[in-house]
Amino acid sequence: MDLGLFVLLLALVAVVAGLVGSLTGLGGAVVVIPVLVILFGVPFPIAVGTGLMTILATSSTTGAAYLRDRLTDIRIGMFLEIATVPGALIGATATVFLAHANLDDALLIALGIVLLAIIPGSLAHRDEELPPAVVPDRRSVALGLSGEYHDRSLGRDVSYQAADTDPALGVMFGAGVVSGMFGIGGGVFKVLALERFLRLPMKIATATSNFMIGVTAAAGAGILLAAGYVNPLVAAPVAIGTAVGAYAGSRVLPGLRNRTVRLLFLPVVAVLAIELILRGVGLP
Amino acid sequence: MSATGATASPPPQLPDDVYRRMTLVLRVGLVGSLGILAVGLAVYLAVHTSATSGSALASNPILQYLNVAGLAHGLATGSIEAYLTLGLLALVATPIVRVISGFYYFQRGGERAMGAITLTVLVLLLVGLLLIGPLLR
Repeated sequence: MDLGLFVLLLALVAVVAGLVGSLTGLGGAVVVIPVLVILFGVPFPIAVGTGLMTILATSSTTGAAYLRDRLTDIRIGMFLEIATVPGALIGATATVFLAHANLDDALLIALGIVLLAIIPGSLAHRDEELPPAVVPDRRSVALGLSGEYHDRSLGRDVSYQAADTDPALGVMFGAGVVSGMFGIGGGVFKVLALERFLRLPMKIATATSNFMIGVTAAAGAGILLAAGYVNPLVAAPVAIGTAVGAYAGSRVLPGLRNRTVRLLFLPVVAVLAIELILRGVGLP
Repeated sequence: MSATGATASPPPQLPDDVYRRMTLVLRVGLVGSLGILAVGLAVYLAVHTSATSGSALASNPILQYLNVAGLAHGLATGSIEAYLTLGLLALVATPIVRVISGFYYFQRGGERAMGAITLTVLVLLLVGLLLIGPLLR
């Protein structure tokens, strides 16, 4: 294929991926990585490196928009990065080793199953616009892991306080490993931890997840870039296209009700999980 | 630590200027990095008119610029690939700069615990980029 056409197609796919990634908090890589490998024949480690650059573009784009709208909780995001970054370093390092060993199929299947297991739990809370009042732990209070935002769709200010930080840190470490290893944002796990354990409102969870995803991806991307697994002729058009799509998505999110975001979130998780399992068993 | 209630008084909420400046960091980093990548990609395509996707995927054109000396020499001599490398590095560096700014704000506010957490994250990011990655090449 002509390189110019190749670059154009990559950019168009990335625009769609950026839009989906922004609306769900997953990052555009969940769409980009399977498409790169299956349709464009990009080697898996290069696809992972590209996926991480995609996440960087998405997170910086939506991160800026959410910060402007005060939907991002900076303190909670930075606190949880203490767990996601070591995980991403380990995951990216493992990917480099697995690139020459063909041992990643079982991991893909396992990840797909984990993602599918998340869906029933998410459906059970679908009608919950805001979390109920929570009892914060001491670390949450000491570090000031609380805040307030104006919910445009509800038309009022909403206060929140983070709850159980220990299980959230554990899930975040796992999210970091997944991000570094597979090049996806790990937003599935981040939003899960932010909602279920810290008991944050959905919009705050989604925006803070986007904010954190950038630093997590930077940890993995730094390793893969320095190791030679980021090709600019793939990564540049994908990063640019993703940024455009993510910006469009971030303009839509603040006006949506939480259940709308969730309904967008769950099918994407299901598609991602099935894709991973099919790839793991060797089916296209 | 379990959910047993609070004993310490919470730190103050971050002021508005933290949000504004962090937004600026992300926007400048994103626009700068993607601008460099867009121009570099356009020039690369204009120069390599007969290139195909196969040739592009066969080898990574920036390998020789993934060290300080190689990158500096490439930038000085106007190498397109060196500028593409610079754009990718700027994209990776954008959230790292955001962490640095977070460390600054927490230190300025006297929040030692959050400052230590942020500094640890920064050190880990730099270890990955400057130590682990090059060792794995």
